[in-house]
Amino acid sequence: MIDLSLIQKPQRYIGNEINVVKKSHQGKIPICISYPDLYEIGMSNLGLRIIYGMFNAFDDVACERVFLPGDDLAVSLQNSSTKLFSLETKTALDRFEAVGFNLSCELNCINFLKILKLGGIPLKAKERAELIVFAGGIANPEPLAEFVDFFYIGEFEEGIGQFVEVFRKHKDKKARLEALSEIDGFYVPQFYNITIGSCGYKFDKLHKYAQFPLKRVYVKDFDKSYYPLNWLTPHTQIIHDRAPIEIARGCPNSCVFCQARSVYKPYREKKVSTIYEIAKNIYKNSGYENLSLLSLSASDYSNIEELLDTLIAEFKDKRVGLSLPSLRIDDSLGNLYRKLLFLKKTSLTVALEAASDSLRAKLGKKIDADKLFEAAKIIKSLNLRTIKLYLMIGFPEETDSDLLSIAAFLEKLHSNTGLSINVSINIFVPKPFSLWEGAWMCPEEILDKKIKLVLSSLRRRRNINISISQTAKSILEAILSRADRNFSSVIMKVFETSGYSAIENWQIWQAAMDECGINYRNYLKSENKNFPWSFIENPKISGCKNDKDN
Amino acid sequence: MQIERFPVRLIVEKSGDMVYFSQLDLVSILTRALRRANLPLYYTQGFNPHVKMSFGRALKLGVSGQEEVTLYFTQKIAAQELHNKLSSQIPQGLRIIQIN
Ligand code: SF4
Repeated sequence: MIDLSLIQKPQRYIGNEINVVKKSHQGKIPICISYPDLYEIGMSNLGLRIIYGMFNAFDDVACERVFLPGDDLAVSLQNSSTKLFSLETKTALDRFEAVGFNLSCELNCINFLKILKLGGIPLKAKERAELIVFAGGIANPEPLAEFVDFFYIGEFEEGIGQFVEVFRKHKDKKARLEALSEIDGFYVPQFYNITIGSCGYKFDKLHKYAQFPLKRVYVKDFDKSYYPLNWLTPHTQIIHDRAPIEIARGCPNSCVFCQARSVYKPYREKKVSTIYEIAKNIYKNSGYENLSLLSLSASDYSNIEELLDTLIAEFKDKRVGLSLPSLRIDDSLGNLYRKLLFLKKTSLTVALEAASDSLRAKLGKKIDADKLFEAAKIIKSLNLRTIKLYLMIGFPEETDSDLLSIAAFLEKLHSNTGLSINVSINIFVPKPFSLWEGAWMCPEEILDKKIKLVLSSLRRRRNINISISQTAKSILEAILSRADRNFSSVIMKVFETSGYSAIENWQIWQAAMDECGINYRNYLKSENKNFPWSFIENPKISGCKNDKDN
Repeated sequence: MQIERFPVRLIVEKSGDMVYFSQLDLVSILTRALRRANLPLYYTQGFNPHVKMSFGRALKLGVSGQEEVTLYFTQKIAAQELHNKLSSQIPQGLRIIQIN
């Protein structure tokens, strides 16, 4: 065993949180789940907590957690030939029957391989005799198809019961995978052959009963669906150090660049009374001093004022902070923020995406920027220090004048409100399943020019802080989210040559792609035929006419 | 209006896994334990109110031993009652040694 007193932040590896579940593995199906990043980040993920609670609700399942170890622990594990272990019972990863990953962030793919390797698990699906590696949360599974035995397409809450039943009934890996592949949502890559023809990608089943095309599965009764009330409460600070309460899932808006609205379809809400019960119980079981109301667009929640009034009445005297991170600048700005201020020092966040009105209209972003200026007086009275603003650049059809309007907008906003403004400028990536999934990804050279234009147009000004995504990182994100199965070999090569640091290092990726004979620009072109992920149903896409001749 | 506050001094022992948790961690461990125990807590005044508590000298990380903590309540609380309610809410490796 590793001496934790020699390791930085040993709190990460102890697994003694309030409400942790520790079961003996005797007569149970042992499963380990992971968000492949450090503890502080992984523990801030709601999905992982839902899955943890749902698995452990079965008497004959023991579900534990593992996160990415810090560099120092990784080195100690390797030097002492110790395998990476779960937090709960310190069991080596290769002793579980299944290990599951939340892969919602593409850039975590190297971390994911690192965890497998440190845990003593063979990286490729076909090299594993019994253990099953599964994953969810990823829109386009193809670049990781070689490493994962099955992906769940959609919201795993719906599939957990079926998963457990199959694991009870079948003990052999092949039988388990075959049985799972026959159920909606379970995608077993090795049962599909994918070829490229004149009509783009063509998908053939290798197991007769496997599902095709795959349907995305969603939680039907969202109001009554499971919520982890026995809130796993860390003893040390995590990134989002508050208990999130999901008030709605999906989004009724149609911003063209948005992936979340498509993968969390349809829009669903929990009732005020349900949310109230959840909040009360989570507080009772965790003692968390901050709760945050989670949804993609809180302003669209039907009874937002009633909800806030109910929660404020419950938590005001207990000095529990409430935050509402996805609120939109709207007519209700003054009212809602005033309510929130009752409870907590709050900052104002505006996901404006484009500063020019005409571009924003093309993007389907329903925000009236004038409201922001009209609301300047209210904003001033709110006791805020900063406004946080999100913008995006790199859209097709974006003009220089769209980019120049950013500086003008920021300066006007600053002088009208007197507040300092933190602006995060992200780069547009045409994400699978978004309305613009077929759009072109702006090439590096042009992106760099656009960034220069934005920065040079802004007269140096205190109180406007800009951070802009790195071009190379955004290109990499685009490749990883759009690539096909051939890309597995590149990921493997990058992992082998460099391990940890790789994800930031564009040169390593470029060298690996050259070696594997992959021209990444092919993944970034505008495309209207089909995509590596077209075996998953996406209602807005029609089939290719030539399919039959192929 | 100033709310009257009742300080209570505790000696807490840290051992086992808890030696890896810092004094900063201990603040949130105790705050949340007090909240779960539903005790009449005294909050700091001002813009961002939190549960008031103060500490004696911090232990070095990785070392077991005792720490002094002062908690504040809005009512008088019997030592035994506080001991019972709080002990059931703090993690293994933390132990209340003395209350006065
Ligand atoms: S960007 Fe936000 S508001 Fe727009 S569709 Fe996506 S989640 Fe909804």
